Amino acid sequence: MVHALAGVDLECRAGELVVVLGASGSGKSTLLNLLGGLDTPTSGSLFYRGWDLAGADEAGLTRYRREAVGFVFQFYNLIPSLTARENVALITEIASDPMSPEEALHMVGLGARMDHFPAQLSGGEQQRVAIARAIAKRPAVLMCDEPTGALDVSTGKTVLEAIERINRELGTLTLIITHNSVMAEMADRVLTLSDGHITGEKHNRTRAAASTLVW
Amino acid sequence: MSLLDLKLIRDLRALKSQAAAVAIVMACGLAMMIMTRSLIVSLETTRDAYYRDNHFAQIFARLKRAPNSVAAQIAAIPGVATVQTGIALSVTLDLPGVIEPATGLIQSLPEQGELTLNRLHLRAGRILVGRESTGEILVGEAFAQANQLQPGDEMAAVLYGRRQRFRIAGIVLSPEFIFEAPPGASLPNNKTYGVFWMPYKELARASNLDGAFNQLSLRLVPGASEPAVIEALDHILRPYGGRGAYGRTSHPSHTRLRDEISILNGLSIGFPLVFLSVAAFMTNAVMSRQITLQREQIAILKAFGFSNGEIGRHYLKFSIVIVASGTALGVLGGVFLGERLVELYHIFFRFPELKFQLASSVVVLAVLVSSIAAIIGVAGSVRAAVRLAPAEAMRPEPPSSYRPALVERLGLGRLFTVTFRMALRNIERRPVRASLTVGALALATGILVVPNAFRDGIGHVLDYQWDLIQRQTVMVSLIEPSPARALADFKALPGVILAEPLRGAAVELRAGNQFRRLSITGLPAQAELYRVLDSMGRQITLPPEGIVISKKLAEVLGVKIGETLLVRGLEGKRVEFSVPVTGLSEDFAGTAAYMEIGALNRHLGEGDRINAAYLTVGAGQWNEFLQAMKASPRAGSVVVKNKIRQGFRETTAQSIGLLQQIYLTFAAVVAFGIVYNSARISLSERQRELATLRVIGFTRGEVASVLVGELVMLTLIALPCGLLIGSGFARVILMTVNTEFVRLPLILTAQNYAFAVLVVSAASVVSALLACRRLDQLDLVGVLKARD
Repeated sequence: MVHALAGVDLECRAGELVVVLGASGSGKSTLLNLLGGLDTPTSGSLFYRGWDLAGADEAGLTRYRREAVGFVFQFYNLIPSLTARENVALITEIASDPMSPEEALHMVGLGARMDHFPAQLSGGEQQRVAIARAIAKRPAVLMCDEPTGALDVSTGKTVLEAIERINRELGTLTLIITHNSVMAEMADRVLTLSDGHITGEKHNRTRAAASTLVW
Repeated sequence: MSLLDLKLIRDLRALKSQAAAVAIVMACGLAMMIMTRSLIVSLETTRDAYYRDNHFAQIFARLKRAPNSVAAQIAAIPGVATVQTGIALSVTLDLPGVIEPATGLIQSLPEQGELTLNRLHLRAGRILVGRESTGEILVGEAFAQANQLQPGDEMAAVLYGRRQRFRIAGIVLSPEFIFEAPPGASLPNNKTYGVFWMPYKELARASNLDGAFNQLSLRLVPGASEPAVIEALDHILRPYGGRGAYGRTSHPSHTRLRDEISILNGLSIGFPLVFLSVAAFMTNAVMSRQITLQREQIAILKAFGFSNGEIGRHYLKFSIVIVASGTALGVLGGVFLGERLVELYHIFFRFPELKFQLASSVVVLAVLVSSIAAIIGVAGSVRAAVRLAPAEAMRPEPPSSYRPALVERLGLGRLFTVTFRMALRNIERRPVRASLTVGALALATGILVVPNAFRDGIGHVLDYQWDLIQRQTVMVSLIEPSPARALADFKALPGVILAEPLRGAAVELRAGNQFRRLSITGLPAQAELYRVLDSMGRQITLPPEGIVISKKLAEVLGVKIGETLLVRGLEGKRVEFSVPVTGLSEDFAGTAAYMEIGALNRHLGEGDRINAAYLTVGAGQWNEFLQAMKASPRAGSVVVKNKIRQGFRETTAQSIGLLQQIYLTFAAVVAFGIVYNSARISLSERQRELATLRVIGFTRGEVASVLVGELVMLTLIALPCGLLIGSGFARVILMTVNTEFVRLPLILTAQNYAFAVLVVSAASVVSALLACRRLDQLDLVGVLKARD
């Protein structure tokens, strides 16, 4: 049996921005799946505000994702048949205390392109729509999986700025999973994963602004 | 095996349920085609062989009475090969243990040897030959089976007013009675109507026809002119009360069988085409998705140097496998259903042996038709596949672009939820696919409407005939026209509440060149028990001068109200007179002409006469009435309405029942196949989208509703279209049944529609649920990592 993750002991706090670094095969994705409620661990315990996620069933995980988690993916995963506004509205229709789609899109600087379909938006704009979709329900946790992986540097920066702003203004616990070590500078805390273990943990005394990052 | 073929097998394994759905829909079309075409071949070859082997006559005639010597005169008509004369008599039967009387036709066997024309086929017991035997009788198989009669059993018949007992010598079949029913009937009623044969001497003695005949059959030499012989024959028989000779095209049993074959002919083309076009569409949908998924593989194959031809052939093989399995299934299904249908046909049509013959030419045709359907279905996608430049194919497909749907552009967008808008836009983005899906579902719905429309049409005809037109309990016919005072005798029978007279007279109605021979029915001007109705269902009062005829007869003769018909009597004094058409009646079986009984008798010039009476009998004295009736010397036949009606019901239920099952199964298969396939393709195309929805917190049910929302919408559009299409199908098919002999009205009920909607919805729901089960297998994480 191969353990994708073993002996991981981790606690994240509200408002924190955590960057998880690791090469491919290090266990990053497994960690994201567990924290994002896409999977349950074979052993050990996992709690979200006292809610036992390790023992949750399919419906329980869905509820956790629906109520508490916002996802941002590497390839945006927008619904091509819906406009930017509607992609966000998809979430606001099922969430209990959402902001309006317009407000969410303004937060990521897309107030002017709300009625465009994904095929009419650039990669960076699509990713910002994805962020707006993730935060519109005011999630407690924002999971970003290689959010700039498909983007060039300058577009990537605007996306990171959006994430940074959400974290700061909404106080959302934000986890960015990436293999790009430059992003570590914008984090409160940096975790390094290799071979399924947390091999490094570093607290930044000051967070670098996303706009200053260079890679 | 080449590696491409290995790939084919593995790809097919992955596609198996979708390929199976396509093959099954195709199999339905083929099964129906093979079933009906083979049935036609079976019926035609069996009929032709039966006619040939048993010397079925070509010309038939009935007359009042002619001495046997006239036969020689007839034989001398140029073109006549064989003449057979004999006696035919209507009888009322008295069966042991059966209270209601049955009626039948009894015919004579020759004095020497066996019949030369219309030879009997012995089923059980023995045949009666020559002068031998007294008190023995041969019985037609349909009647014998319906009444559980066996050789050796006894039965009584009232022959020409005299009650006689007979022992059954044998059970037989006759090519004259493949359809064993009274002339003009569209459905048999074997419990109450039968055909019989007995030696000439006995029958002649009983009917005072010794040395004479009242019916004859002819066979012609090859190349002889049938109309010329009929004309010469009519000329000879005129002095003997000839009622007009006719050929096979007017022979009741022959025409009934011919009509059935023409209905089968219609079914063998229309419906299979529907199924095969649906199958072609499904093949196309499955293959174009398959090719989209395999863009990169195609590019790699081409990069490795596989030619366009090789790749094209590889994808064509997909459809070949589907066609091959569809054909195999279709042939099996066709044979299975054909065999069951043949059993059913045995109720209607009596042959010495009606075996299902798989028409091999039909199988070849079927393979050809379905191959063409599949190739048309797959050609477009294969062409697209081989056209793809390798470098282009290696890149993922460009992101699909969408736009707001029409209803949104009209400003109604705000009324809908986001997921509803997704469905709308998806439909609008692929209008061809959406309309084909709607078309296929509509066809499935339409197919279901047809058999029920048939059932309701028949039901309507029966109710119309037996509740609205004929309101008697029994009809009693007299052996021969009798003075009107006979009615008083019937009125005096126990239990009779109301009695009304009927005068029938065999005539030729002529308008210009068009003529028809039939019996004019003379009735009281405003009869209570036999009401002549117009197309609005109102009773027509028969005028003191004038004739009322069926709408269909007016159409055939080309006359309108106010125009005049020439009436030529075919019996008795053979009078000729002209009458104006004063009304058109609505009826569904055969054609009819009505006159006020007094007016008719006046024209016939034989005094006040009646041939039959319609009676209402009180339920309390029913048995006494029947006993009295059976003993009545005047009664030629007694027809109990409810008995006939029940017989019709049972036969209809049986035949429509099987057809309904077949159509139901096929329609459900189409609906199931279409919805399942659409859902699977949609799942494959949108799995990334659906997985995304799952990840961001949509429940399984919510995602499923996104997946099937589109299909629900298409189904909702398809259902009303299907009802329209089905009504159209029913109308067209009923038109083919609109003959002079049988007509069915188009009756479309809410229950019929509801049933069709229910079946298609149920099939759609089940298949959608099955497809949705695959949502559980969505690889949420994997899908998110991968680019399209």
